[in-house]
Amino acid sequence: MSATKGRNKVPMFVWQVLLGTVLLLTWQAGVSAGLLDKFFFSRPSDVLGRVGQMLVTGTVWGHLATTLLEAALSFLIGVTAGVLFGFVLARNRFLSRLLDPYIRVANALPRVVLAPIFLLWFGLGIWSKVALGVTVVFFIVFFNTFQGVREVDPVIIDNARMLGASERQLIRHVLIPSALTWIFSSLHISIGFAIIAVVVGEYLGSSRGVGYLISQSEGVFDTTGVFAGMAILAGVVLAVGLLVDRLERYLFQWKAQESSRVKGEVA
Amino acid sequence: MMSSSNGTAVRLTGVSKTFPGYVAVQNISLEVRTGAFLSVVGPSGCGKSTLLNMAAGLLQPSEGTVEIFGEPLNGINRSAAYMFQQDGLLPWKTVLGNIMLGLELRSTDAKQAAQRAQSWVRRVGLAGFADRYPHQLSGGMRKRVAMAQTWIVDPAIVLMDEPFAALDVHTRMRMEGEILTLWAETGKTVIFVTHDLEEAIALSDEVVVLAAGPASRVVGVYPVDLERPRNLIDIKTDARFVEIYGSIWRDLREEVLKSYERDQRA
Repeated sequence: MSATKGRNKVPMFVWQVLLGTVLLLTWQAGVSAGLLDKFFFSRPSDVLGRVGQMLVTGTVWGHLATTLLEAALSFLIGVTAGVLFGFVLARNRFLSRLLDPYIRVANALPRVVLAPIFLLWFGLGIWSKVALGVTVVFFIVFFNTFQGVREVDPVIIDNARMLGASERQLIRHVLIPSALTWIFSSLHISIGFAIIAVVVGEYLGSSRGVGYLISQSEGVFDTTGVFAGMAILAGVVLAVGLLVDRLERYLFQWKAQESSRVKGEVA
Repeated sequence: MMSSSNGTAVRLTGVSKTFPGYVAVQNISLEVRTGAFLSVVGPSGCGKSTLLNMAAGLLQPSEGTVEIFGEPLNGINRSAAYMFQQDGLLPWKTVLGNIMLGLELRSTDAKQAAQRAQSWVRRVGLAGFADRYPHQLSGGMRKRVAMAQTWIVDPAIVLMDEPFAALDVHTRMRMEGEILTLWAETGKTVIFVTHDLEEAIALSDEVVVLAAGPASRVVGVYPVDLERPRNLIDIKTDARFVEIYGSIWRDLREEVLKSYERDQRA
């Protein structure tokens, strides 16, 4: 464990930075040499300058706050509903079989087509975006919770019951911790998708948010602005992902390191 | 609640268990004296685990009754602990947390539970490993945790389903010795399921042979009058051991051959 950390981490990080630098420089050089049209492709230096300007003048903060608020709300609502439904359906065979075809149909629906209807129902404010985000987060978390509760090793359940666990204790000591590992591996994905969904919502109709900024820039053929919005979004998603990583590593010290397993389709 | 030393801990009367499509065990009657170490042997697929699960209350018999200390069993057998073939350790709890689990579920005072668990950690030879997680342990160490986990709740009856089947020969012999020591110290009733006749004789007061499945029944009950404490390292060459082994094997052999033929046909 410590061997891989000590020996490989620093060099790989350097390589990764190097790759990014080369890609950006190629882009920059391509535009400077006239191989790429600046009008359509902008330039990394311009994008960086714009991002800096947006951050310094503070024009972006309000929009970013709106987007993050929407994402956080859709994440909270989606996770709560997903965990609850996942748990109930995993414990109730009749309900899960009854609802199975409907869940499949609902999950097969591309979320983007819901955006217009949510706009009509919830208006241009944040709630139409939250609703869109919830539909994405809910299914990812739902499928993983369902699977997590179902996949608990029956020996572990029998063992706990023999040791005196009541139904409630079984849920608390065995089913929830077991499902948590599945739920958590789904959080990585669902956080990213919550942000994407609300940005798409904003892009399709709103007066605030990063998606709104991007759509405004696009409207005036300001590619630098579009790229700057993308860069800011990517940074935010990355930062949130790192936070979840930290939390996960703290919560799952008991687990052998393994690649994360995620079930569930996304929009 | 506790019975006298010469009572019956577990009594099965005319017990059958049917699963969709086949009969696992049929019309089995069995008595386990309080404080006895009884082994159940039989060819694979003879319903040994089914029998144990019914004594544990994890399975309900399709016919017949299970009595624990004279009381008919309803639901989980609260006077028994169960050591499974594959341990049921919680991967997200440490060694200490796993050993404490039974006490925690019985809402024992947390401090006291931790103290008792600590003493069990030492007792099963895991001092220094209390904070490890199951995935960091070897197979033998996991068995020790499982052993402490079942014995800490101080059950009157301990059920064991081939607990050492997956271990290498040497680790296995050590664990068998430790089980015998624990048993001698605590005077609990043990039902030990195994497919290994040598192991069964070496450990037990009584060996029950089950017929080949399906619809398995009891072929015979054989007392083992070897002296205690037993020296597990040398016991297998003891003349009396060989004699007992020979007499039980005569009966078991046929059942093994039958189950072998059955598998060939299948």
